[in-house]
Amino acid sequence: MNPTTATKGLRSPWATQGPRVLERRLGSHLQECRAVEPDILWARVARHEIRTAVETAVREMGARFLISVGTDRRPRGEGYGIAHLFSLDRDGLFLGLECLVPEWAEEVDSITPIIPGADWSEREFRDVIGVEPKGHPDPRRLLLPDDWPEGVYPLRRDFPYHERPQAPQPTPPPRKEPPAGTTVIPLGPFFPSLEEPAYWRIFVEGETVVGCDYRGFYNHRGIEKLGDSVLTWDRIPFVAERICGICGFIHSTCFCQAAEKAVGIRPPRRAEFIRTLMLELERIHSHLLWLGIAGHILGFDTILMQTWRIREPVMWLTEEISGNRKTYGMNALGGVRRDITPEQKKTILDVVRKVEEETLEVKAAIVGDTTLHARTREVGILAKKWATDFCVVGPPARASGLPIDARLDHPYAAYDAVPPRLCTQQAGDTWARVVVRVEELVDSVRMVRECLERMPDGPVMADLPGNFPDGRIGISVVEAPRGEAVHFVMTGGVNRPYRWRVRAPTYPNLQAMPAMIQGQNLADVPITLGSLDPCFSCTERMEAVDVRTGTVTVYGRAELEAMARRHRP
Amino acid sequence: MFLSKLREAWICLKAGQVTLPYPFEPHDPAPGFRGKISVDPDLCFGCGGCANVCPAGVIEIQDLDQYTRALTFRWSRCTYCGRCADVCPEQAIAMSPLYETATDRADDMVLRLEVFMGPCGRCGRCFSPAHPLERMMVTGFRDDTVGGRPEARSVGPLEVAGCLRPPPGLAAAGEGRAHAPEGGQP
Repeated sequence: MNPTTATKGLRSPWATQGPRVLERRLGSHLQECRAVEPDILWARVARHEIRTAVETAVREMGARFLISVGTDRRPRGEGYGIAHLFSLDRDGLFLGLECLVPEWAEEVDSITPIIPGADWSEREFRDVIGVEPKGHPDPRRLLLPDDWPEGVYPLRRDFPYHERPQAPQPTPPPRKEPPAGTTVIPLGPFFPSLEEPAYWRIFVEGETVVGCDYRGFYNHRGIEKLGDSVLTWDRIPFVAERICGICGFIHSTCFCQAAEKAVGIRPPRRAEFIRTLMLELERIHSHLLWLGIAGHILGFDTILMQTWRIREPVMWLTEEISGNRKTYGMNALGGVRRDITPEQKKTILDVVRKVEEETLEVKAAIVGDTTLHARTREVGILAKKWATDFCVVGPPARASGLPIDARLDHPYAAYDAVPPRLCTQQAGDTWARVVVRVEELVDSVRMVRECLERMPDGPVMADLPGNFPDGRIGISVVEAPRGEAVHFVMTGGVNRPYRWRVRAPTYPNLQAMPAMIQGQNLADVPITLGSLDPCFSCTERMEAVDVRTGTVTVYGRAELEAMARRHRP
Repeated sequence: MFLSKLREAWICLKAGQVTLPYPFEPHDPAPGFRGKISVDPDLCFGCGGCANVCPAGVIEIQDLDQYTRALTFRWSRCTYCGRCADVCPEQAIAMSPLYETATDRADDMVLRLEVFMGPCGRCGRCFSPAHPLERMMVTGFRDDTVGGRPEARSVGPLEVAGCLRPPPGLAAAGEGRAHAPEGGQP
């Protein structure tokens, strides 16, 4: 637990006023409201009043929705727990609104009518826990594969992690009907611009996009289920790191921080600085990678070649520091496993100096490039209102004028000593997202330097307590290059979390995609999607489910070809 | 427009050729690189700490009989995190700089150690839970009464020179599971 975060949370007026505001609106339906951690306010609300509670949090307290967590609490005699997590950004406070759903009811009021960004979260707990969000505008199956039987909920505690339920005939969820007179263009599931599977059906009128339908979650790996059934506290950081190939360190840091908060471990200050340093190095190489991919999507491969060339020394550097160019394996509960030597410090400074120099050269070259402007300006505009509604995070949010950055709002690790500069743009188009990322990239170089300057000496690993407490809650956010990652951990009596919930930044960002491509040219769809820097694998990290061949053949090549021919003008 | 194109061209020209000649010339990783793990069978005494921490479940432990514990390393699943090397009390495991592990033989990615153990001081035998994941929960024990240094034998790609112990009859995995599963997960 970072002292700054703690005090920031405690100082917040909502830490004391929040319970009062909720009580005024809910009366006796607010069963409990207290600060379970200095920066986590946890309220338990009567089931039928959850929508009022969420409305109060959003409208009166200005809370930003993070994620919903469905937990099977039946072994504890509490039915199912549905918790909606919020962030009070200016106050460094997390708010959890939880209601218990009795076993016989299995339904809860949907909050999607109030917060459009809660759409996927609610469909997800319906799929995995089996609690129906009542009044959900689009209650289709989201993340289970098409050949998963109805009524089998993989995240329930009595569902064994290695169970393979008998697969019925694959039935894809009902598709959205295209508006009359439009043509459907299938995009995916093998994606043309990003080498990850996602299936979009784009509805077009001529060249103009009028709507779309999304079916994704082809990449389930069952990580959360493994986390609460097989893995141990000791192993999860390494598995968490594999949630994403690019921002792995972010997920392992985020998990470790959430678990440390829940268990009450304080990592040494030097370890926090090393985490910050690695996070910023990861941001540097991720933004360079993104810049290259964006160029590649536009057919401007010079950018791809040059930014990836600039990026490569950073990968070698992280290999030298951690022992691997990606998936560093640096984090463990209580700190980091490797220290930074004085020689490495010199190498780091040399490498980031070169990166900064070359990035500025590339920036100077591309700012005036009219080809790039033609393809990115006024393309994929995300209005500020939509960004707020869909709870968009990270560079897309900042490019739409939302001043949110987890590093500033919830200063974790050593970000209290090395604060970032907030880079925002107002335009909300793809170009604004390019600018935000390039500015952040240059700022990250500065932060790496300051981190090395201010890094104190000392140990890098804290002692762990012999027993981990039961029933504690930890929430942590980490600003990944793509946006804010959220990890929620609830401890159990055994050597593993009772519930571990991961939200990758692409999860909310991808939900804003339909709003962004509305009215755009079809040709701009790939770069619009690319400008979100989506990462499907981390979004789809859920459940003990394999995407079987049956699922894939549903949208197989033959069908895609057939569809393409059918819709050929 | 024209200026940016010139600038872009200059960046490309200045960079020159950066592609490394690998694989025609070897490429050494940085010091401290975590490659394929190397196991020194002479040092291993079968405590099972490595199996206990391995996030990927690479290391399987099986007690073939009262005196023999088999440790099977299935490297094809290894994520090279190096936790096993961290926790090994005898430094029997180290991370080598080898990264060219591609092979067309599945056996190349398996190393099996059979470590000579003594019977458990408490129950008189080694217990062997049925499921591989439960098996990893087994923490080992050291029996010093057998006489000094525990002996080890390796089968698979590593062959220990001067191995003292003759191969036991129960070499194949699974055959030795003579005892009823017990212990295991709490």
